[in-house]
Amino acid sequence: MPYLGSEDVVKELKKAMCNPHIQADRLRYRNVIQRVIRHMTQGLDMSGVFMEMVKASATIDIVQKKLVYLYMCTYAPLKPDLALLAINTLCKDCSDPNPMVRGLALRSMCSLRMPGVQEYIQQPILNGLRDKASYVRRVAVLGCAKMHNLHEDSEVDGTLVNELYSLLRDQDPIVVVNCLRSLEEILKHEGGVVINKPIAHHLLNRMSKLDQWGQGEVLNFLLRYQPRSEEELFDILNLLDGFLKSSSAGVVMGATKLFLALAKNFPHVQKDVLVRVKGPLLAACSSESRELCFAALCHVRQILHSLPGHFSRHYRKFFCCYSEPHYIKLQKVEVLCELVNDENVQQVLEELRGYCTDVSADFAQAAIFAIGGIARTYTEQCVQILTELLGLRQEHVTTAVVQTFRDLVWLCPQCAEAVCQALPGCAENIQDSEGKQALIWLLGVHGERIPNAPYVLEDFVENVKSETFPAVKMELLTALLRLFLSRPAECQDVLGRLVYYCIEEEKDMAVRDRGLFYYRLLLTGIDEVKQILCSPKSDPSLGLLEDQAEKPVNSWASDFNTLVPVYGKVRWATISNLQRAERRGPELPAPASFATSEPLIPEENKEQIQELSDAGALTLVPNHQITAEYFEKTWLRLKVAHQQVLPWQGAVHPDTLQVALQVVNIQTIAMSRAGARPWKAYLSAQDDSDCLFLAELLLGPDPSEMQVSVKQQEARTEALSSFISVLETVLGTIGDITS
Amino acid sequence: MSASAVFILDVKGKPLISRNYKGDVAMSEIEYFMPLLMQREEEGALAPLLSHGRVHFLWIKHSNLYLVATTLKNSNASLVYSFLYKTVEVFSEYFKELEEESIRDNFVIVYELLDELMDFGFPQTTDSKILQEYITQQGNKLDTGKSRVPPTVTNAVSWRSEGLKYKKNEVFIDVIESVNLLVNANGSVLLSEIVGTIKLKVFLSGMPELRLGLNDRVLFELTGRRPALSLPQAKGQFKKQSVANSVEISVPVPSDADSPRFKTSVGSAKYMPEKNVVIWSIKSFPGGKEYLMRAHFGLPSVEKEEVEGRPPIGVKFEIPYFTVSGIQPVLYAPGRQRALVDAQIRSLPAQRES
Repeated sequence: MPYLGSEDVVKELKKAMCNPHIQADRLRYRNVIQRVIRHMTQGLDMSGVFMEMVKASATIDIVQKKLVYLYMCTYAPLKPDLALLAINTLCKDCSDPNPMVRGLALRSMCSLRMPGVQEYIQQPILNGLRDKASYVRRVAVLGCAKMHNLHEDSEVDGTLVNELYSLLRDQDPIVVVNCLRSLEEILKHEGGVVINKPIAHHLLNRMSKLDQWGQGEVLNFLLRYQPRSEEELFDILNLLDGFLKSSSAGVVMGATKLFLALAKNFPHVQKDVLVRVKGPLLAACSSESRELCFAALCHVRQILHSLPGHFSRHYRKFFCCYSEPHYIKLQKVEVLCELVNDENVQQVLEELRGYCTDVSADFAQAAIFAIGGIARTYTEQCVQILTELLGLRQEHVTTAVVQTFRDLVWLCPQCAEAVCQALPGCAENIQDSEGKQALIWLLGVHGERIPNAPYVLEDFVENVKSETFPAVKMELLTALLRLFLSRPAECQDVLGRLVYYCIEEEKDMAVRDRGLFYYRLLLTGIDEVKQILCSPKSDPSLGLLEDQAEKPVNSWASDFNTLVPVYGKVRWATISNLQRAERRGPELPAPASFATSEPLIPEENKEQIQELSDAGALTLVPNHQITAEYFEKTWLRLKVAHQQVLPWQGAVHPDTLQVALQVVNIQTIAMSRAGARPWKAYLSAQDDSDCLFLAELLLGPDPSEMQVSVKQQEARTEALSSFISVLETVLGTIGDITS
Repeated sequence: MSASAVFILDVKGKPLISRNYKGDVAMSEIEYFMPLLMQREEEGALAPLLSHGRVHFLWIKHSNLYLVATTLKNSNASLVYSFLYKTVEVFSEYFKELEEESIRDNFVIVYELLDELMDFGFPQTTDSKILQEYITQQGNKLDTGKSRVPPTVTNAVSWRSEGLKYKKNEVFIDVIESVNLLVNANGSVLLSEIVGTIKLKVFLSGMPELRLGLNDRVLFELTGRRPALSLPQAKGQFKKQSVANSVEISVPVPSDADSPRFKTSVGSAKYMPEKNVVIWSIKSFPGGKEYLMRAHFGLPSVEKEEVEGRPPIGVKFEIPYFTVSGIQPVLYAPGRQRALVDAQIRSLPAQRES
C-alpha cells in the first residue's frame, strides 16, 4: 500500500489491530502485524500504532513476539513513555519457561535505547547471567554492555564486572567471548578488559573450542598480554601455531598479528612467522570472495615493504584474471611490481605488457606505470617494452608511457638515449595535460639529441591559442627557452613568437608573468640565462633511495589486520585527519561540557580535548560573543578571582590556540601576534547560568611560565575551578603540541 | 570485529532491510553510501572499503544486492567480510537464491536471522544447521510457544545437536575440486591451481570421534573440527583413459553478432545472446580425443565505437571418481563403529583463459 501516505496506512492498520474479530483470529492478527513491520522496513513512520503493538506483545506466538519486540526497539526512542508500558510484558517473558523466549525478551529489553530503562533491566540481566540456558547467558552478558552504554557516565558497577570476569570460565564458548566483548565496552575508559596470566592461559586453552569469530576476537585480546618469560612466550607461540593455518582468513590475520607482536624482540621469529603464513595468505589472495582477496593483497603489500623477496617465488599467483574487479587488479599489479627479481622479471614484464592493452584505460595505465617502476632496476628491458607500446598509437597508452619516460630519465640517466629515440611521433597521440607536459619537458631538456624537437615544439606554439591548460603553456615556455640555449638557430624565431604571445595575448596571469620573467631574463644576456636554466638533467638520488628502504616489521606490525593497510597508509592518514577535523569543527553538537579533574595524556593532543568525559559541572555556552568594549569595561570592573602560573614551553601559535579554545567554547577577544614579548591574550566565556568568565594569559619575560588571571561575574567557586581546569587542559595540550 | 549496523541494499542503494545493532551510528548514514560508491567508481578508485566522516562502510556485492556493515572501529576487515559472506550463505540456505525478491518475500525470517546472527555488533550463532533448528520457514504455521526447545540453545557444544540417532551409520565424502588454469595467447600455461573442498555428509549417531586421513601425495593441513575445508595445491595430470562428463565450453563472441550457424563433430552448440557466448556442450568427452566446432556469425557493417574486452574461453566439466590433485580421503572411525565410506569423487568447473 505504498501509494497511500503513511498517515492513511497507520489509520487503517490501527483500525485493523483494534478489531476484536481480527484479534481473535491469530493468523489474521499476525498478518496485520507483519504488514506493520513491512511498512516499517520500507521506511514509513509506523510509530502511530505503538499502543496497539504493545498490546500485541502479549501472545504465545513466538514469531509475533519477535516482530513486536523488533518494532519496539525501533520506535522506543521516539515514544519512551509508551515503551514503558511494554516493560511489564518483557519482564514477564524474561522468566518464561522457554529459554528462547527468555533470551528474546532480555535481548529486546536491553536494546530499547531509551532513558530510564536501566532500572528495569538490571534485575533481569542479573538473573540472565545465572540462567541455566547458555542462550540466555549469552544475551545477558552482552546486555551488561548495552546497559552500560545507555548511561556511559554512570559509574562502573564493580560487582557486575566481577561477575563477568567469573563468567569467563563459562562452559559455553560464545558466553566466554561475549564476556570479553562486554567487559571491553564497560571498561573502555579504564583501558579495557584486563588480560592477566590466568585469564590469558585460560583463553589459550579454550581457543580450539571457539568459532572463527571468537578466535579472531580472542587473538586480538591476547595482544594485551605480556608473557613473563621467554619460555612462556614460546609456549604460547607453539600453542597457537595451528591458527596461522586456519581456514578462516580473519583468524590467520589475527594470529599473524599476535605472533608479530609477541615476537617483537625476535626479528628471526617474526621472519619465520611470515614464512609460515605465506601459504594461507596466498590462499586468501586467490579466495573466491573478492573482498577477502583484496584485504589479503593489501596485507601482502605490507609484508613486502619489509621482505621484498618474500613472495617472489609465487609471482604467478598475482597475475590478474579477466573477471576480477578493478581494485584487485590494481593491487596485484602493485604487488607484482614489488616482488620482481632477476629470475622472474622476464615473466612479470611479459604479463604486465599484456595488461597495457586492456580495455580499461585506467588499468592499462596502471600497468604502464608499474613497468616504469620496474624500469628503475631493469631499465633496458622495460624501456624496450614501453617503446613498443608507443607503436599502438593509442592516446591513453602514449601519454602514460611518455610520463613514465620523463620520470625514468630523471632517475636513470643511462636510458636517455633510448628514450630520445622513441619520442619522435608521440606528439600526435597525446591530448591530455599531463602527457603534453611530460613530452614538452623531455623535448626541452633532452632536445639536443632529438632531431625534430624544435619542430614539435613549434607545432605546440602554433596551436598555443587553442591550448586549454595553462600548465602546458608554462612548460612550453621553459622547454623552448632551454632548447634555444642548445639549438639557437632553430628556435629563436619560435621562441620570439611564443614570448610575444604570452606577453601580449595570454589571459592567464601566471603564464603571462612567466613570459615576462623569461623576457627580462633574456635581456640580461645569454650567459645569465644559461647559468639559471641549465640545471642538472637527472638526479638518481631523488626518489630511488626513499622507495627501496626496507622497513622493519615492527614499524607496521601494530597496523596489521586493521583497516590501515586496507585503506593504504596515505589514505588512512587523510581519513583520520578528516575525522579529527570534523570532531573539532564548528558544527559540533552543542553544548560542550567537561569533566574537571582528568589530566590529559600528552601524546593524544587536541582531539583528546573533545573526549574528556562529559560529566562535568560546567557547561560553557557555544557561540557566546561579546564585544571588545564590553569586555574591557567588565574586566576593569571586576576583581581577579584567581591567579595561577602554568608551565609553558616554546613559542605560542595564536591560531592553534584560538582554534583549541573555540572547541571548548572560549572566545578569544584579543591576542598578541606570535613571538611578541610580553605576549598577552584576553579570553571570555559564559556558562549556561549566564555567568561570565574573563581571563588574561600573560607570557612575560620568562617564556617557561604562563600567567593566568581569571575574573568572574558572579562569585561561584565551583564553576570557577571547573573553568580554570578547562583552560589548563587546553593550554597543557597546546603546550605539548607546540613544544 | 564489531559492526554498528548491517544493511542490505538493492542495486540502486535503497535499503531493503537493515538492523541497527549498536546504535552508535545514525541509520541515515547509509544514504551516503551509494553516492560515495559511484564517485569512487568514477575515479577508478573503488574498493570494498569506503568511509564517510567517522563511519567506515565495509561492503560486498551479492548478485544484485549490496551487503554493507558500518563500523566506527578500526577493526579486522577480513572478519567483517567473512561475516557478510556467512550471512549470504545462511540466507541462501533458507531461500535458495538470495536476491531482492526473496528478501522482500521473507522479511520476517530475515529479521529473525539477523537477530540471531549478531548481537550488539558481535557475531553469535552463524551456523545455518543450528539456526535451522529454531528458525523455520513455515512462516504461516502458527507457533504456540510450547514447541520443542532446540537442545543447541542450552548445549555445551553449539555446533551439533545432542542425542542424534541413525539406523544406519553412514558418512559420505565428496571431493570437489575446481581447476583454475591461465593460458596466455601463445599457449603456455601461466598458472594452474586447484581449489578443492572435501565435503562430508555425516549420518552418525551420538558424538563419535572421526579422523580423516589423506594420502601423502598431497601435503596440506586440515583445519576445523567440522567438515574440513582445505586448499590443496598440486599439479594435475589428466590420464588418457579418463572421461569428462557434461563438458561445457563457452566461447565469448562480440555483443553485436547475429545469425549464428554451427557445425559440430560432436555435441550441440547454442548461441546465448544475453550472455554474448556460444555454449558448446558435450555429454561425454574421452581423453585423448579431439573434436571440432565451426561457428559462423554475421557482424553489422557499422563499427561500434567502444572497445570490447576479450573475455576468456571457459570450460566446465566433471570427471567422476577422479581428483586432479590425487587426493584420496580415508575415514577412520575409532572403536567398534566402522564407518561406511562411500567416496564420490568428482572434478568440477575448470576455467581456461586465453
